[in-house]
Amino acid sequence: MTSSPCSSIRGFAAPGGSDIQFSKLPWLVLTPALVFVFVGVFAPFLMTHDPAAQDYTAILKSPSLSHWLGTDYLGRDLWSRIVGGARTSLVAMAFVLVAALVIGVVIGSIAGYVGGLVETILISLIDIALALPSLVIALALMGVFLGENFDWLSDYWKMVLALTLAWWANYARMSRAVVIAELQQPYIEAARVMGASHLWVFARHILPHVLGLVVVYASADAGALVLAIATLSFLGLGVAPPTPEWGQMLVDGMSYIEEYPSLVVIPGLALTAVVVSFNLLGEAFALQKVPRVLKGRLLRRKRAARKEEDLARTKAESQA
Amino acid sequence: MSNLNRRQVMTSTVALSFLSTLPRVTFAGGHGDTLRVAIAGETGDLDLLQNVSTLSSYTVVFDGLIHYGPGGTLEPGLATAWSVAEDGKSITFDLREGVTFSDGTPFDAEVAKWNLERWMGVDDFSWIGISDAYEGIEVHSPSQITVNLSRPVPAALLELTIVRPVRFLSPAAAAGQPIGTGPWIVESYSSSETILTRNDAYWGERPAFSRLELKVVPDELARANALRAGELDVIGGDWVAPLSPRRAKALEGAGMTIVAEPGTATTILGYSPKSPMMADEGVREAIFIGIDRAAVAQVLFEGYADPTIDIFPTTVPTAGIRHQVPARDLAAAQAALEGAGWNRNGSGWSKDGQALEIDFLVSEESFPGSRRIAEMIQAMLTEVGFKVNISSVDNATMHERRPNFEYDLTFFATYGAPYDPHGSLGASFVSTVDTGPDGKIYISDELDTVVLAALEASGDAQELAMQGVYDWLHDNVAACPLLVTQRIWAVHPRVQGFSLPATDYDIPYKGLSLG
Repeated sequence: MTSSPCSSIRGFAAPGGSDIQFSKLPWLVLTPALVFVFVGVFAPFLMTHDPAAQDYTAILKSPSLSHWLGTDYLGRDLWSRIVGGARTSLVAMAFVLVAALVIGVVIGSIAGYVGGLVETILISLIDIALALPSLVIALALMGVFLGENFDWLSDYWKMVLALTLAWWANYARMSRAVVIAELQQPYIEAARVMGASHLWVFARHILPHVLGLVVVYASADAGALVLAIATLSFLGLGVAPPTPEWGQMLVDGMSYIEEYPSLVVIPGLALTAVVVSFNLLGEAFALQKVPRVLKGRLLRRKRAARKEEDLARTKAESQA
Repeated sequence: MSNLNRRQVMTSTVALSFLSTLPRVTFAGGHGDTLRVAIAGETGDLDLLQNVSTLSSYTVVFDGLIHYGPGGTLEPGLATAWSVAEDGKSITFDLREGVTFSDGTPFDAEVAKWNLERWMGVDDFSWIGISDAYEGIEVHSPSQITVNLSRPVPAALLELTIVRPVRFLSPAAAAGQPIGTGPWIVESYSSSETILTRNDAYWGERPAFSRLELKVVPDELARANALRAGELDVIGGDWVAPLSPRRAKALEGAGMTIVAEPGTATTILGYSPKSPMMADEGVREAIFIGIDRAAVAQVLFEGYADPTIDIFPTTVPTAGIRHQVPARDLAAAQAALEGAGWNRNGSGWSKDGQALEIDFLVSEESFPGSRRIAEMIQAMLTEVGFKVNISSVDNATMHERRPNFEYDLTFFATYGAPYDPHGSLGASFVSTVDTGPDGKIYISDELDTVVLAALEASGDAQELAMQGVYDWLHDNVAACPLLVTQRIWAVHPRVQGFSLPATDYDIPYKGLSLG
């Protein structure tokens, strides 16, 4: 296997090599997620209209050249709102994921590395946070943030903060598990014996393993997070108008569902596509670490490769 | 003992479940004599003194002395005639003779006195003027009583038409038994439905069908679907089972009859009297003329709303003279800001280093559809140069912030018939009355005097004094009336002769026949 203990995290799943092999990435599931990120990042260039601009002379229009997906009940361009909504979700998701990862990894790693009473306290904290569904915690926190003491935060940042505080616990528990498992490894002991400091051991040897697992988990979680953001907006919390947001578009379209189902279907589809692609992505990453039974074309290819290898070996042996 | 094999168990289960559906099938066919009306919340025991049961179902079971007719006219109920003394301090009622409660107890002066004393002069009901000013009741004969008051109550007769607690309960009724003199008798009530049968001894016009079922359907879409499927006959009414304009349009397309009439409650945009920003009349003026009311009525209410700048619609008594609804005027709105000392600052405005930024408090839960109206207004005011922040909150937060004036702008609605104009004026524009979570549309010391004078005025002076209030509010741009939503009901084609009940607190049944 690999000689360096940290090489396995560089490539997501590169059992043989030490770097990411682009051809082996799960492009089929990676593409939709990348499209989402692309749309989110370049939203201002992709929008054909101002997503907040209302045009009462063109309400509830069907798709046309000027409005690719038609218009909503206030005459706003649906395509621009979907694209704008992607940006809203992406930015909020990125903030929450990064913040939750940082908090989760720090707390989990401290718990795992330090041990003892600190660990007991931290793991209790994590267990309490995990005892309730994240969304319930986020809703409760939103309720708290709606109070007077938090007027300095805009609704958007209240939502980001609430989701972050609801989302870190899973990462913390996972980080702790990885840290504990890794601490048992003989090479850690060797590093300590050679005089490496705790910080060095942690940063150089343990953190890469933690991130390797947690980041993969987070990529699958991104979809759930987009859904949570939409859910909060659907309930009227979080993103404030006129910022376009998918959950809000869904709830606004509800009263038009009978005659103009596209107002609900389009944001619904966008949401579904993002959630599904992130879930598949996470699964693909996870499965690359698991040995699989080969079937069909892959099996034939593998067999052919084996045959070639055997042939080459026998040839080499016979030559020798 | 014989053993059952699996096949026998299966067969008997199938047979039994088939049998259990049979009574339903036969029952479902027999709706010819039953009107099924949707209600949004359960009726409960219809206690006249508790604020528990929904307001919508009282009027079919209980009568009052006076009933509210179309446009605020007073119609005889259990009183056939009434006269107010010159000094306004006593009212004499001639009671209807030969009326009995549905349990057989006769209705007479003593019963009326017992009923009225349950709430008149009682602290809990001091919000009703006639209860607050109550002194005593004289029984002249079995069919005549006089209510004596400590001071004149100009709205006394209108107050006797409200839903609760002014109606009459049989003195023989046990607790939790809703027994009145009305056209319907409660047969049973539960959390899912209330069943009423016709009171064949009713003193007034008897309904054309013998059964009335009030079905509890809390969700609007479910109500609309049930109407379409023929499981309900009538849905609608703001206090019975609200129907949104959008849904009404959809139902119209599906062959249901939509009946809409001008409403009695005004949707008003309230300026916080405590906000420094809103203390600036130029800002209030800019908002007032910066909003396109007609567009809101057309786009969000599908035309089922009438734009207005008056506090009360003409469907309410003494609503005052009409003002023409101005077209939206962007230039005038900006001129108002300039006139008040605001300076252009890029796309916005500023004054004394402060940007023109306002907080718009909205709760979809307490006023469904309000966030969309707010979004429209936000776009309109953004064009004027305002920065509008919409705070979308839940009901509880709304109830906490509104009474404390923690907003710059928020939505209000007047109470509508039969409570207005006295109800809304006395509650929402007077600082001394506690209205709890409802908050105040506008208050100031100066306004207090004007409103209190109008509430105490009677006779010819009343109209003038009321107009004084409307003029004060208009001249000071103290509130921003937007529109009057229409009363919308949807009716299944099998129902004939549908006409709107007098108020949206009433269940429609009068004049209806079932096909």
